[in-house]
Amino acid sequence: MPDTRTRTRTLVRSPGLLVSYAVLVFALLAAVAPGLFTDQDPIAGVPAERLRGPGAAHLFGTDETGRDVFARVVHGAALSLWATLLAVLVSLVAGSALGLLAGFRGGWLDSLVMRFVDVLQAVPSILLSLALVTALGFGTTNVAIAVGVSNLAVFARLMRSEVLRVRTGVFVEAARASGVRWRGVLGRHVLPNSLGPVLVLATVTLGVAVLEVSALSFLGFGATPPTPEWGSLVAGGRGFLATAWWMTTFPGLTVAAVVLATNRVSRALDERGEA
Amino acid sequence: MTRRLLQAVAVIWAAFTLSFVILYLLPGDAALNRLGAAEGGITATPAEVAAVRAEYGLDDPLVVQYGKRLWAATHGDFGKSVMTGDDATGLVFDALPSTLEIAAAGLVLAVLFGGGLAVLGTYTRHRWLGNLLLSLPPLGVSLPQFWVGLVLIQIFSFQLRLLPALGTDGFAALILPGITIGLPTGAIIGQVLAKSLRTQLAEPYVEIVLAKGASRARVHFGHALRNAALPALTLVGVVAGNLLAGTVVTETLFSRDGIGRLTAFAVNSQDIPVVQAVIVLSAFFFVTINLVVDLIYPLLDPRLAGRVTRKAVAAGA
Amino acid sequence: MVTRPVRTLGFGALALVLLTGCGAQATAGGGGDAGTPRVGGTLRLGISSNPDCVDPQQWGTNASLNVSRQLVDSLTDQDPADGAIKPWLAERWEVNADSTAFTFHLRDGATFSDGTPVDAAAVKASFDGARALGPKAALVAGYLAAYRGSTVVDPRTVRIDFTAPSAQFLQASSTMTLGVLAPAAYNKTPEQRCQGDGLIGSGPFVFESYKQNQQVVLVKRKGYNWGSPLWKHTGEAYLDRVEYRIVPEPGVRSGSLASGQLDAITDVQPVDEPQFAGNGFTEPVRPNPGIVFNLTANTTRGVLTDPKVRQAVAKGVNRQEVVDTVLTKNYKAATSVLGSATPLHTDLAGLLAYDPAGAGALLDAAGWRPGPDGIRVKDGQRLSAAVVFSAVFNQNQSALELIQQQLRKIGFDLRIELKTTAESTQIQLSGEYDFIWFNVTRADPDILRQTYSTKAGNRSKLTAGNPLDAALEKQAATTDRAVREPAAAEAQRIIVEQGYSIPVFELTQVWGLGPKAHALEFEASSRLRLYDAWVAE
Repeated sequence: MPDTRTRTRTLVRSPGLLVSYAVLVFALLAAVAPGLFTDQDPIAGVPAERLRGPGAAHLFGTDETGRDVFARVVHGAALSLWATLLAVLVSLVAGSALGLLAGFRGGWLDSLVMRFVDVLQAVPSILLSLALVTALGFGTTNVAIAVGVSNLAVFARLMRSEVLRVRTGVFVEAARASGVRWRGVLGRHVLPNSLGPVLVLATVTLGVAVLEVSALSFLGFGATPPTPEWGSLVAGGRGFLATAWWMTTFPGLTVAAVVLATNRVSRALDERGEA
Repeated sequence: MTRRLLQAVAVIWAAFTLSFVILYLLPGDAALNRLGAAEGGITATPAEVAAVRAEYGLDDPLVVQYGKRLWAATHGDFGKSVMTGDDATGLVFDALPSTLEIAAAGLVLAVLFGGGLAVLGTYTRHRWLGNLLLSLPPLGVSLPQFWVGLVLIQIFSFQLRLLPALGTDGFAALILPGITIGLPTGAIIGQVLAKSLRTQLAEPYVEIVLAKGASRARVHFGHALRNAALPALTLVGVVAGNLLAGTVVTETLFSRDGIGRLTAFAVNSQDIPVVQAVIVLSAFFFVTINLVVDLIYPLLDPRLAGRVTRKAVAAGA
Repeated sequence: MVTRPVRTLGFGALALVLLTGCGAQATAGGGGDAGTPRVGGTLRLGISSNPDCVDPQQWGTNASLNVSRQLVDSLTDQDPADGAIKPWLAERWEVNADSTAFTFHLRDGATFSDGTPVDAAAVKASFDGARALGPKAALVAGYLAAYRGSTVVDPRTVRIDFTAPSAQFLQASSTMTLGVLAPAAYNKTPEQRCQGDGLIGSGPFVFESYKQNQQVVLVKRKGYNWGSPLWKHTGEAYLDRVEYRIVPEPGVRSGSLASGQLDAITDVQPVDEPQFAGNGFTEPVRPNPGIVFNLTANTTRGVLTDPKVRQAVAKGVNRQEVVDTVLTKNYKAATSVLGSATPLHTDLAGLLAYDPAGAGALLDAAGWRPGPDGIRVKDGQRLSAAVVFSAVFNQNQSALELIQQQLRKIGFDLRIELKTTAESTQIQLSGEYDFIWFNVTRADPDILRQTYSTKAGNRSKLTAGNPLDAALEKQAATTDRAVREPAAAEAQRIIVEQGYSIPVFELTQVWGLGPKAHALEFEASSRLRLYDAWVAE
């Protein structure tokens, strides 16, 4: 485990990573306290100032009803990040639980769980999400759950292979030999050791989830306006690409920045894990 | 091998069953969709709705409906689309060529660009150029696909007027949809190939070959790339499935027919025969690809293969 | 105007301009009126959604009807200007006193594209065939609800009988929905006809091919010479070929038009409208006739049982603000439950003025007092109702959100519930809604009877024998305008006054025409008519 000093040194040597952390911190701050960044109203617009380009008064311009796009992006952080986190949590918790069960118990249970996971992967994820959203009803939370379910197979697979790897490890064998019960081994040795790669996958999935939520918005299954959410901001502004490019470009770049940042951070976590 | 085949059949059966269950959990049914599709809402009386339900066998007990469908499906018959009355299998096979076209175009472009970036990025002696090239693939997976497609259309079709935004005539009509659908896949290929190239270049044999007087290019392309390409190629098989997922967005943007459009419409209207035909087809693809990958695995370094698949699946999810 | 081969334009066009109030573009678009029509060429037309089925008798969506109108002829034609019924396949007709028997005398010489004549037997076969489609053909089911049967009087005379007065049938006989298909068409299954197989009509264009989600191709019918007198020329259509390209993404549709990859498009979105005003582009516009987008109240549910509450909601909706904010000037605020392009529409703008003070007064009088969150309360009950809608029209959601904000100002809480098609259909069947949001296109006031009569749709859940039923039955019983007009006016007034329906805005068709495309026309139901259309070189 690198100590604080080496970690700081890594950061300084890699400005990209530093910027990535900064982007994520800003995104989180915007989610928690949007008032820090803007005092404009994200919901009520000023019709007289509709479709203004980016400038001093409106950093990202205004939309078709005169709402400040920057304010909408900032206020959208909370819902977007919540949706993404929820999606990842669903995948992480349900997928890991399945993988853990399969890898740890083995036998017929393993076969059953893994065949189920096969099925989830065999059904195209977009189809699964579409069907789930239709079943659960429209809205961001439901979209997040649908995206989460459609991604959980990967977590189950990874968790299972990690458990299998750790399970045969020397320390687990030793613990078993010294009479520790399975549950103890699971909690104390297997879980902590297999969690690393799974968490890396979770950070990668964060980026994937943002994009999937936005794709569903594009197909008409997204957040319900006027509540701003990044995916639906990009999707909703696309009709204006020719006439008011800022409406979709700035939210799009925000999404890109956050996804890139999580990618970079997850790569750093991965490399540290492997080192 | 028999065991693997049986498992494959079981997966297809389970996909069939799962789609049946999900579609029945949705509120309403295909008959309501069919009758309520008109502007202004439904005009039929409850008795008429019941008659239409009966016509499509939607009033049978669930178990009976399921049994009938399963039996017919084993004979390759998924029934008729409730919305259009067409044979569901026929609809899928009508839509398939168009989807395969853009998927193939996307895959070729993905391999060319993803591979090209990885090779150039690791080959160049200019550190900044390498960093720049290698930072492009992550960018590729961080932009919403529909947004990329719209920007491409806006620039190359509407502003520069170089390529068509719609239509299916000729090779030119495949370029923009190919880029749109291939972008995320190309980005994954680029990332994985760059990583395994770096790993290869750090191997001791590189020093030895160089010491023997081989040129840098020869080491890079002749040895490292050959060794690194294998896992990336396995990856291509896996991401081919991901390409199919991108079709609904790409087909909508470029006004093309295809599996994605067909599926989205069928799910929306709870057109069970069509949805099941699509699902069984894609499950069939999935298990076939997996069987092939399983057969190829032993031919590769097992350690490497295991790791690459995990990464590929993670990145492409 | 002078150079165009005009037959029946004159007063009709002028009247339409006055009626729709949207300028000279309303009747004919494309490069203005300049130029002589050119024979030949291909029109590339971008449409917004897959027609799914191209048989006019089976399918009722705009996308489908815009295609199928070109393939079939109807017994009669309807003048978009004043709603008058004109000859087409039928030279003349008689209606009996209680509107239960319609006798049509067919013109000579019309043939289907398979060469067989359009005679009385063919008309009978077509009407019987249409009726046999059952409830799945929703529009036919409405038009022929009381259909008893058809009788071949002689080869050129056919009588159509009904079991109940059906004045609306005369208008229905002008729609593509009751367009006449050749007897051979019914040798094919309805599913085959949906895909164009065996879809044999006598119209100015002939079906060539249909690729789902991609395009429909029609070609000119050789030797066509039996068009409606309302059309501007005689003989064959000008266009050799029409390619309907299905382009679902609005930005791609408008961009393709602007960059010359398409000649014309339908469903121009409000955001794209400014692009096609000028620069050689034109923008034909016409509101749909029929029931406007409205909140129809279920009068048996919750706070909506009280007429004062419904009336207050009607006063609390600022229609003009809805049009100005989420739509464009091409759209019109509703002036009745029927759109202004509907025959026998009555202007009730006075009843539909924005009057928040009046709404407040009504609610005060009914005992509703402002609660802590601004929403009024009475006996512990909140002044709140839900509206069910599905996303059939793009701006529905934005419009309802704005109405929600407007009603909040008078202390009324409108909850917006977006549903899938199946779910909203189910809700509508069960009657478990407060408000439903919808529109229906129909160029005849009888649509009110189909929607609000206790013997038909009864969307407001009224009890039988109410004054509205009487008015609706009266207009259904006669084709005599002098009797029908006051009855239809009475029905509209009752619906609006009682707040059974709160009309908001008129659905409007907005097309974009490139510099080459000319004379794409609206027929009476605001659907596409391509007979007179032509493309410049």
